[in-house]
Amino acid sequence: MDFNPCMKHKVVRKAVRMFAEAELGPIAHDIDRDARFPWEVVEKMQPLQFFGLQAPKEYGGAELDSISYAITIEEISRVSAAVGLCLTVHNSVGIYPIERFGTEEQKRRFLPAMTRGERIGAFCLTEANAGSDAGGVETIAVRAGGDYVINGTKIFVTNGGVCGTSLIFAVTDPQNPQRSAGVFIVERDTPGFTVGEIEDLCGMRANPVSSLFLEECRVPETNLLGRPGDGLRIGLVTLDTGRLGIAAQALGLAQAAFEDAVRYSKERQQFKKPISSFQTIQNYLADMATEINAARLLLYRACAVKDSGKPFGAEAAMAKLSCSATAMRVTNLAVQIHGGYGYSKEYDVERYFRDAKVTEIYEGTSEVQRMVIARAVLAQRT
Amino acid sequence: MVKMVVCIKQVPMVSELPWDQATGTLQRDLAEGMMNPACRAALEAALRIREAQGGRITAITMGPPMAEEILREAIALGADRGILLTDRRMAGADTSVTSYTLARAIEKTCAGFDLILCGFSTSDSETAQVGPQLAEELDVPGVGYVDEIVVSGRTVRMQRLSDNFLETLEMSLPGLITVTTEGALPRYVSLGGLQEAFSQARIETFDAEALGLDPARIGMQASPTKILSVASPTAGKKNIVLTGTPKRIVEQLIERFDDKIGGAIGKDLKADKKQS
Repeated sequence: MDFNPCMKHKVVRKAVRMFAEAELGPIAHDIDRDARFPWEVVEKMQPLQFFGLQAPKEYGGAELDSISYAITIEEISRVSAAVGLCLTVHNSVGIYPIERFGTEEQKRRFLPAMTRGERIGAFCLTEANAGSDAGGVETIAVRAGGDYVINGTKIFVTNGGVCGTSLIFAVTDPQNPQRSAGVFIVERDTPGFTVGEIEDLCGMRANPVSSLFLEECRVPETNLLGRPGDGLRIGLVTLDTGRLGIAAQALGLAQAAFEDAVRYSKERQQFKKPISSFQTIQNYLADMATEINAARLLLYRACAVKDSGKPFGAEAAMAKLSCSATAMRVTNLAVQIHGGYGYSKEYDVERYFRDAKVTEIYEGTSEVQRMVIARAVLAQRT
Repeated sequence: MVKMVVCIKQVPMVSELPWDQATGTLQRDLAEGMMNPACRAALEAALRIREAQGGRITAITMGPPMAEEILREAIALGADRGILLTDRRMAGADTSVTSYTLARAIEKTCAGFDLILCGFSTSDSETAQVGPQLAEELDVPGVGYVDEIVVSGRTVRMQRLSDNFLETLEMSLPGLITVTTEGALPRYVSLGGLQEAFSQARIETFDAEALGLDPARIGMQASPTKILSVASPTAGKKNIVLTGTPKRIVEQLIERFDDKIGGAIGKDLKADKKQS
């Protein structure tokens, strides 16, 4: 067991950090304030293969291992969690399901434009009456000749406002949603596909989260991923992978908040001393550092299990549960250490604090993660 | 087809490096390494020459085994080969011995080179000596502090800013150029490039024996330069209150700060005073 990062992982971290600090650092605050998606940075990310992090080289991907992938998302999110969110959703629940479950024809048709970043991916499960309960999906896909005609409304779609290729979770038989669920690849220019208003959210404001409407949206049957009825299985595997990315995103947020808190505690003077000299602040910093390290180890281990080809659902859930809880606690303490300034938009910790909350909600709430973990624990022989 | 050698160096990432408050020195053991910014600019210049003219780029570095990092990064950025000169006996070399070592290694591994590109200086020691000394060691012409390079045939045309004059120079190949950070902005490394540089590229490693170096001419013991101490310059602040009549205050001001005030207004106040 080697706990030291290998040379590649160190270089990946430095390379991504250099890019993120130079290109996203100067605008991270403004794009949050203005709820603006930074296309100008996306254009710089495209040739560097940020949009094909783990996809095979033959489809234009970088073929990174999962720990390098996590480090990349962590480092981008350390500077802008909203851009980190765009990347992780695009890579792990946009590209990955097509790469894993798609036919050769589907991979050739959809992946190159996605890995080039020309078509940003989105995964659309959540509806007004479905989210944690995937069986509650009401979007319906009806077979018509060689096509499927899809009708329904998806909500809270990450990347919704900018997506080029969406994976739509729909059922073919509303009487039997569990067994008839399917994942359909729908491109933005398909007639009947429209993007709703951008949501006005607490955090991750530079990511255009929106509703998507499908009205008589007709796609060829070759746009169905896997076999009819495979939807639930594809959804579950996809979410396991997605959780590693969200864990990495939460970890990057926690790291950013921690670094700001350490720096501020050394600068801020009270009672004629830097506040870092007070034991209470030291205790906060010690707890933050410990939790971040523990969460990071869980995440990298889950990534290593995934790359070894073994089932990693419980590990991914643990990593996501731990990293998001850490992000929440660490950003909260970082605001506390900054005092009144931490509550001001003048300081980044205010943004980190707002951004952190949703990591406990999306890609499976913390309650769902516990459900997944408990199921794995109880399945083991005692 | 220009055969290029880019000399690169791993330097500590100073922005991430803690200072020892007591001694005022860098805690180098905690340092993360990175490619020296001017070396990155030299590599960028080489990549652009290759894009325009065709060519082959060899990145070479001397350093501890960890310096392999920047060779892999150079390959990820587009270098065709990476050569690591590493040997405990080479450690502690000053610029003169470094130039000697690099020159022999280039002669052995990159015979028939057209152009050698170096960063004009490194961010950790700032001597700017290795490039010019290397040109001497290899007995080729060298030009320092270059911003722009255009190769045509066996000639290279360069631009550099010198005392606020823009100089255009020409040199015949083979030759050596040291590159500033004022030219084209170095590209970012692509993630697929990094993955391939780590999974497929082979780094060629040489020690003193493999290079056939004279042991008496390498490392710290062969280096004429000795570093006695390294310290951070401290910029102190002091408030001084001048008192007296306005005339007396002005006189004191001139007495104490005549050189600074004179420098700011472009006059030698002491000389003026003597004349009057």
